[in-house]
Amino acid sequence: MGRKVAFIAAMFGALALAGPAQARVEVQWWHAMSGVLADRLNELVEKFNTSQDKYTVVAVAKGNYDEVTNGVIAAYRAKRPPEMVQIAERGYMTMLLSGAVVPVQDLIEQKGYKVDFSDFIKPVASFWSYKGRMSAMPFNSSTPIFWYNKDHFQKAGFDKPADTWQELESQLYTIKSKGISECGTVLPGDFYWSLLENYSAINNQPYGTLANGFDGLGTEFVYNKTKVVSQVARLKKWLDDGVMQIAGQGFSPEQLFTSGRCSTFVNSTASHGNIERNATINWSATFLPHESDINPPLNSTIGGGAIWVLKGHTPERYEAVAAFLNFVAQPETQVWWHGATGYVPATNRAYALARERGYYKDHPTREIAVLQLSRGTPNENSRGFRFGNFVQTMLAQRQEVEAVLAGQKQPQQAMDDAVKRGNEILRQFEKLNAGKTPETERP
Amino acid sequence: MTLRLSLSWRDARAPVLQRKHGGGQSKAGPGAVVGRSRVSGKARRPAQEAGLKRANFGDGPGLPTLLLLPQLLILLFFFFIPALRALTQSVLLSDPFGTTVQFVWFDNFKTLFASSEYRQSIAVTFWFTVAQNVLTLGSALVLAFATDRIVRGRSVYRTIILLPYAIAPAIAGILWAFLFNPAVGPLAQMLHRLGIAWDPNLNPNDALILVTLAASWKHICYDYIFLVVGLLAVPVSLMEAAAVDGAGPIRRFVSIALPMLGPTIFFLTVMNFIYGFFETFAIIDAVTKGGPAGATNILVYKVFVDGFVNLDLGSSAAQSVLLMSFALICTLLQFRYFDRKVNYGV
Repeated sequence: MGRKVAFIAAMFGALALAGPAQARVEVQWWHAMSGVLADRLNELVEKFNTSQDKYTVVAVAKGNYDEVTNGVIAAYRAKRPPEMVQIAERGYMTMLLSGAVVPVQDLIEQKGYKVDFSDFIKPVASFWSYKGRMSAMPFNSSTPIFWYNKDHFQKAGFDKPADTWQELESQLYTIKSKGISECGTVLPGDFYWSLLENYSAINNQPYGTLANGFDGLGTEFVYNKTKVVSQVARLKKWLDDGVMQIAGQGFSPEQLFTSGRCSTFVNSTASHGNIERNATINWSATFLPHESDINPPLNSTIGGGAIWVLKGHTPERYEAVAAFLNFVAQPETQVWWHGATGYVPATNRAYALARERGYYKDHPTREIAVLQLSRGTPNENSRGFRFGNFVQTMLAQRQEVEAVLAGQKQPQQAMDDAVKRGNEILRQFEKLNAGKTPETERP
Repeated sequence: MTLRLSLSWRDARAPVLQRKHGGGQSKAGPGAVVGRSRVSGKARRPAQEAGLKRANFGDGPGLPTLLLLPQLLILLFFFFIPALRALTQSVLLSDPFGTTVQFVWFDNFKTLFASSEYRQSIAVTFWFTVAQNVLTLGSALVLAFATDRIVRGRSVYRTIILLPYAIAPAIAGILWAFLFNPAVGPLAQMLHRLGIAWDPNLNPNDALILVTLAASWKHICYDYIFLVVGLLAVPVSLMEAAAVDGAGPIRRFVSIALPMLGPTIFFLTVMNFIYGFFETFAIIDAVTKGGPAGATNILVYKVFVDGFVNLDLGSSAAQSVLLMSFALICTLLQFRYFDRKVNYGV
């Protein structure tokens, strides 16, 4: 008898345990990570799922950023969007004015979570917020840094790469003339981001009018009247002199660096994971160079992605979303993600925590991105970029730079053309979105 | 393998001929039913054949319609509806999520024709398809001619030539990009040793040459199959007669086989253009991504980039409408001007 009661009690106990498990609210998160980064992302989601018993986040890899964007657009049009999606920095304006998203800060506050939004590192916060309110949750934030082959520099008699483009140039030419390396540097695949946009921010050059678009949709590009033109001319000169190489399709610039063929390489801090794993060389990294007549240099800007929340779901699902976003914003999560991937910690508290634990003693190069992002006070030129159709204008610009590298156009001509094409694209965005204000209604 | 191929070729042609018969008969209209018994003596055979086929389908349009239905549905869902949507989208300006839509008449088309980038894309597509066509047909002809001369190991030879067809375009593209990569590609290094400054990542012409080579290589086998089978259809007696008259193998090929291959070559030209217009997307994506400086940005690739990367749906739709019209015009022109010169009387 006693046994029977115990058995029944156990059954009820099991039911009681199974009860909440069945009631877990499931939400989807579509993301664009692949390889090692996707594994880390899955670990992060797993951490969240095991940390509580009310919600389950399902991470779904949907290809690269373009594919994720197209996937979410198709899903939204078919009225079956995921709750969350990871979108690259260039898609900010498209998402902001899409009318399809729920502002993240509103959602988190409405659901009663206390995330200190003022604690986010400034260029990160300013990039992802509209009128001081965070539109999307910063997730994988990166910035370009300068990677170099220590041995090549030592052999040429240098401690490390110089701080300015002018001195760096003479270093690269020395390395080449001494026969230490055939290839001083390799053109990054995303040179428009690191060597033109971030270059403009660091060297305090305006990229567009109206504070790089922060003050309105009427913004126009102006980089054909700034140091960007001479920067493009510099790249062309390096290419002609054999100091810079192009990796081209089917081969990544990173491989040319990690194999020891090229002495230096400008790339995102997020490639730490890959470079640590693949490099056969004695590598290190430092800050991006600046122009000799610009002192002190400003902060660089971010790249990477943020988590956007889509409209059209039930309040219970938004509970789950808010809980997850709150989890992502926690310093512990941030520090873990920073260490696991090389992306920067998005908040000052997380950065302080990583420092406190002595993380940067073993990984000095991982601190560069944070220091570079948070140096000085961001101004209109370094806060970030607010251009509509920013992917399209970037592709037009890239094509014009390629025309310079191919010897078809002079740098000034090419940048004039790029600005002209870019401005037409901006006008189309303005025409379509005139008078629209971003979503402020609460879920 | 070869036997099957030649059989299917003959099979493929047979229905065409019969269809012509059938068409003539149905035009004869209602009288034909009555007439059939009347002229039974002379025209028995064709009438019986046609009658047999008709009997198989029963009376009335029910069964034929039913049998056609799957194909019609496929056309409806995968061609007519998308085409209609492309047409409507091409006169709209809309944000990607479809929350704001503006009707802009033909602005999307006007913008396209005013854009130097689009005109460049048209020019690139023209040169690319023409070069690809000449190269593909030329190589396939040489290979087919050579196959005809080979006695031993012919099937092995044929199988090897057909292999590229089994390779996915994207893989083929990566293969070529790698072989001709100036930093690591063995073939690129060979060119460098010959003193040619080959760099498809930098030089627009090199890039165009590379994608043309890759696209042609992928498509040679297609042309080759048709040409080999076409050569089988050339009457041996003619070739033997020419040989007796002292014509060498090349002379025989050029003067006899080639004119008789006319219809095949014409068909292949049309197919090559369509291949160049639409199916080379994956190769471009894998080898150059349309670069450098837009040198390999063919129309179909631009449709993709503007639609799926730039999210400019209106322009992308307008471009696909234009591309469709170009392909149509191109095909019609070919029929108009070349079809007459082709000798079908084999």
